[in-house]
Amino acid sequence: MSVRQLDPWLLGAFLLIATCSFLAQNSTAQALDSPGFATRQLVWLFLGAGVVVVLGLSDYRVWARAAPALYALSLGLLAAMLVFAPLRAGTRSWIGFGSFGGQPSEVVRVVTILLIGLLAAEHRQRRSDLAGVVRLCAVVATPMVLIALQPDLGVSLTYLPILLAALWLGGLPWRVWTALLLAALALAGAAWLWYLKPYQRERVLTFLDSDRAPLAAGYQQRQSRIAVGAGGLTGRGLKSGTQSQLRFLPAQHTDFIFAVWAEETGFAGAGLLLAAYATLLMRIFLVAIAARDRLGAVIAGCVGSWLAAQTIFNLAMVLGLAPTTGITLPLLSYGGSSILATCLGLGLVQSIWRLRFANA
Amino acid sequence: MSFVRDDLRPVQRRTAILLLLCAAAFLILLGRLWTLQIIQGEKWQRLAESNRLRRLPLEAPRGEILDRHGEAIVNNRPAFQLLLFPEEIRNHEESTRFLVNLGIGDEATVRERVARALRASHLPSVIADNLTWAQMAAVAAHRSEFHEFEIHQTTRRSYPLGPSAAHLVGQLGEVGPEQLGRQDNLRPGQLVGRSGLEKAYQNVLGGTMGNLVVMVDALGRQVSKLSEEKPLPGKPLRTTIDAGLQRAAAAAMAGQVGAVVALDPHTGAVRALLSQPAFDPERFAGFVDHNYWRELLANSYKPLNNRALQGLYPPGSTIKPLFAAGALADGTRGPGDTVFCTGQVHIYGHPYRCWLAGGHGRVDVETALEVSCDSYFYYLARDAGLERLAAWARTLGLGRPTGIDLPGEVSGLVPSDEWSRRTRGHQWFAGETISVGIGQGPILATPVQLAVAYAALVNGGYLVRPHVVTAAATPPVPVGLPAAVLARVRAGMERVVNGDRGTARRLAALGAPRKAGKTGTSQVVRKRDGVKWRDLPWEQRHHALFVGYAPAQAPALVVAVVVEHGGDGGSVAAPIAGQILAHAFGDGVEVSGGENGAHEDSWAAPPPGAGNRRESP
Repeated sequence: MSVRQLDPWLLGAFLLIATCSFLAQNSTAQALDSPGFATRQLVWLFLGAGVVVVLGLSDYRVWARAAPALYALSLGLLAAMLVFAPLRAGTRSWIGFGSFGGQPSEVVRVVTILLIGLLAAEHRQRRSDLAGVVRLCAVVATPMVLIALQPDLGVSLTYLPILLAALWLGGLPWRVWTALLLAALALAGAAWLWYLKPYQRERVLTFLDSDRAPLAAGYQQRQSRIAVGAGGLTGRGLKSGTQSQLRFLPAQHTDFIFAVWAEETGFAGAGLLLAAYATLLMRIFLVAIAARDRLGAVIAGCVGSWLAAQTIFNLAMVLGLAPTTGITLPLLSYGGSSILATCLGLGLVQSIWRLRFANA
Repeated sequence: MSFVRDDLRPVQRRTAILLLLCAAAFLILLGRLWTLQIIQGEKWQRLAESNRLRRLPLEAPRGEILDRHGEAIVNNRPAFQLLLFPEEIRNHEESTRFLVNLGIGDEATVRERVARALRASHLPSVIADNLTWAQMAAVAAHRSEFHEFEIHQTTRRSYPLGPSAAHLVGQLGEVGPEQLGRQDNLRPGQLVGRSGLEKAYQNVLGGTMGNLVVMVDALGRQVSKLSEEKPLPGKPLRTTIDAGLQRAAAAAMAGQVGAVVALDPHTGAVRALLSQPAFDPERFAGFVDHNYWRELLANSYKPLNNRALQGLYPPGSTIKPLFAAGALADGTRGPGDTVFCTGQVHIYGHPYRCWLAGGHGRVDVETALEVSCDSYFYYLARDAGLERLAAWARTLGLGRPTGIDLPGEVSGLVPSDEWSRRTRGHQWFAGETISVGIGQGPILATPVQLAVAYAALVNGGYLVRPHVVTAAATPPVPVGLPAAVLARVRAGMERVVNGDRGTARRLAALGAPRKAGKTGTSQVVRKRDGVKWRDLPWEQRHHALFVGYAPAQAPALVVAVVVEHGGDGGSVAAPIAGQILAHAFGDGVEVSGGENGAHEDSWAAPPPGAGNRRESP
């Protein structure tokens, strides 16, 4: 058991992204006049790196065995949070002591993936039974609903690609996909009518029609595009982007952190970071293909789908290709829980890679 | 571990598809990044700059306007403006509502101003002027909600002379779009001269705007000053006006409609220039008060017109010295030639009445001027003919602008047969010439033209160009009248004031210095027998005119006074001129009006059954 058994590409991409993350947070911390942000992000990234290595050196199959128990615990925790968690910024998504704590909803995602992997491995022969599909849906939908009730729609939505990936990897036939698509459309319609808040509807409408209220709801996206575009080839220098430093850029340490990086390092830096993410994600899918068993393949495939969906949607939003949804960028956005969850996923993937040739 | 390795190929195939989808998505993102940063980079950089940089206009204080002694006619006082940065507006409705609540105007006004500001795009516009302390406090309090507003200290015009100098000074107005396009030192919302001296000397008074470039953050707070280009204040404008005389003219004309022009006959330097009724220039000093503007436009007395330059009046008997000089100079009349006035003459078979029903008896040219005998000038006009009358009038500057350095001057009218055919469609009638002989009919002059013509009569025969600031570069043009002729005409005009029968002899009571001049009363409607002018409705009364000068021996000031529908030159216009001359030469004696003297054209005793003197053949 040695660190050298871990995938160097995956590890390298992770470290590159983590470096960029610290530098970007360091910039935005100056803009927001909160130097603590950069320091904390750095601590979390170090802890995350530790998690990746430790988990990578462990056996993912052990964790899968524990998945049902962990999952039950998680659901209990999420349910209890709806009642007991402190109300912060309108949601009950955070628990902890004093200032130390986090968002369990991020970590529960990894537990859910473990359980999905376990289910897939146990039901490998029966390709397309309805019971299996329903069970999968229930496993993912339960935490999703509990999180949506907090309410934290952004995190809740990040469970959706996991469900889709699980169904896809489980071999769900095309006709079922068609049925699911129709159901999704119906669900989206229902959500539009009864669940989405007016400001959320406005965001979608603004994206679909950029002329709609160009100065109100479109403000964030416009400022983001200005920041990215103003970066040019080589950027305006770290801590020197006017869009971030003069706070024209909204939510710059979370949702729009990539815009900070793009403005200050230009196409050179942003392109490099994009390449690092691409490498990371491709590598995860390659690990899934190289996995020794169905459990590993499904876990890595789900982790890859989750991180790919979140990364692509966030970048599309920052670059003005998707509506503002409140989805953060894995590893780069500020937040310990998100980094921890990502690193748990990456650690499992490393473990799957390390044990790809294991016989027992 | 019990997880057996079964056939994973279907899962691997599907994972490979996910990998390809992911790769495709990244290619799209990379392409988008390339587009934004490399292809459109400059555009977004510009937008980032306009996000953070604000160019604040630093308005140049307009130059003061001073009278000949350095007393301020117009000066400045501090004021506060509200600037709007159109690109910063986040919510039009809220901004508009805020402005309406601020009390800078009704909703329509506010919307119009905002719309205009938007057309100017990246430059800030003045959206409100002359803010009160309460309004400034409200803007400051809502700074974080409305980044688009900025309070700006500036200066505003102040008018020590009030409405009495309104036409002379002129009003300010917001610079128009076409002017904005022509001159790049102007800015939307900036006030520029629209009339009077403010317009004529905009380039001197206006100065050059400055710029302050500051960096602001997303909340609109000033972070740092990047560069400052100081404004160049407008230069003070020294005029030839005598503020005291201008005030005296306004006091003398109080309640009247008309105009006064007082000038130095030797140089053409204007000492006072007044038009009544006037407007309040303070109300144009900032944003134009549209209600006031509409009110002025609707006012039937046309207070926006500068009657001194734009008022067209038949000169009436004030034309007589001009024709007398012309006739004496070319020999149409000898100094000793006389006419016997019976109160009525017959020319071309038509009766023409002299204003004095009983007649003036035998009159020579000096006496004809003294008593303003119409009969003398009827015959003179008949003998001279229209062409020579017109030539004499033109020689003394009538029928064309005097070239005064104020905008909007009109030409007046000196008739000719050609003019008659062109504009009226028929030939000139000989009988009309007789009317023109006493300044009636189709002959029109402005007060400033009359002042210039009299200046030439009394300054030794030079046509000066009247001016408020800059004298003409070329010396005055000699009008070609011999000194003896001028002396004779001046003697007649002295007798108007100082003679026993003079039509303005009440002015003699003012004492030194000796004054001289000529009265005039020009008809607006046909005279009706047995009606005193004071009993007529105002708009049917005659215009009262007087053009005078003093000291009679060495004229230093010519004053032309026109009182629209004033009734009678001798009793209405002459006392006003007398008051102005009295002020100019140091004594404050009031000259009373009223009917205690001889009234030219006084309708007190009309001759029974007399015909109309303006009858055309």
